[in-house]
Amino acid sequence: MGEDIKRNNDKIPFDENNYTHNIRKAGERRLDRRGFMKTMVGAAGIFAVSTMPWGAIAVKELTGLGSKSHPKQKLANANDLKIGEAIEFAYPGEHDAALLVRLGENEFKAYQNACTHLKCPVFWSKEEGRLVCPCHHGFFDVKTGKPTAGPPQRPLPEVVLSKEQGAIYATGVKRYET
Amino acid sequence: MKQLLYIEMDNCIGCRSCLAACTQCGGHDERNRNYVYDVNPLVNRQTIPLMCLHCVNPACARSCPAQAIQVTEEGAVLSALVEKCIGCQNCTIACPYGIPKFDEEQNLMYKCDLCYDRTKEGIPPMCASVCPTNTLQWITEEEFAAKQEKHRLGKWMSSRLPENPLEGETHVKINLPGILQGTEKLF
Repeated sequence: MGEDIKRNNDKIPFDENNYTHNIRKAGERRLDRRGFMKTMVGAAGIFAVSTMPWGAIAVKELTGLGSKSHPKQKLANANDLKIGEAIEFAYPGEHDAALLVRLGENEFKAYQNACTHLKCPVFWSKEEGRLVCPCHHGFFDVKTGKPTAGPPQRPLPEVVLSKEQGAIYATGVKRYET
Repeated sequence: MKQLLYIEMDNCIGCRSCLAACTQCGGHDERNRNYVYDVNPLVNRQTIPLMCLHCVNPACARSCPAQAIQVTEEGAVLSALVEKCIGCQNCTIACPYGIPKFDEEQNLMYKCDLCYDRTKEGIPPMCASVCPTNTLQWITEEEFAAKQEKHRLGKWMSSRLPENPLEGETHVKINLPGILQGTEKLF
């Protein structure tokens, strides 16, 4: 072999602006199909595992394990409240205004009275026989707490009552369910 | 053991076996990807086989906007990838040897890929395995070095020399006519 002369054409990379980055077969794919599939499955697994806290919360909620227990609170003596009358109280916290309505001899209903539309205080209208929100004319059925007219879409949260020795006690708040 | 294709063109008798072999090779769709040229048409009968020279720095691949022509680690420059080639024919213009062919029907470039499926396993390419006159040889680096030593191929070898007719360094080695003058051949 004679003298070993390298010319411009043999220089790699070529001495010019060229935009050919991908002509080496070995360097064509950093990520082949199998690697891509593994990545996808792995990512799906990570996502699945990362949603487990919410799953646990949902399980707790649905099985009732995590239902909050509030301390019992005496609201009134049954005899102090005439049929068709209502009194206000706060339960469970001091800012959670609520309403106790006596509908019959032994029929008491209590709801947290912040309107589910825009939190105006809902009051008991004895004349109309239903719960009324004055701000935007929302009306609630007193037997179920469900909205019957106006802007509110969700029922008022019901306070669970118990009667002991002629006194009405609040023992908890029912979970909101659609 | 790296082997290379060596074209000793003085042996060529123009039988076109290489074309037939290429045509019948699997995956070639009944089309041959190499050429047999007359060296001096109407002057003498000398012919040369020519297939892709598999440049170290291939102009076809550099010119391809879709990067459809790939260079393997062994140095083979592959035919256009069917899924990438856009049929622009830049490679046919860029190649200094006029190697890439264009298929109008498929809108696809196709060219010799040194029978990559064979040569990557060390099997000679189809054309070399059928050549009856030893024009196309599949030889090791050592054999090639011995040839260069014997024939002083440096004077004639087609790459890497100032007077050489090729554009750049190639993996397929070629000799120029006249190199075997005065040597007695037994085949």
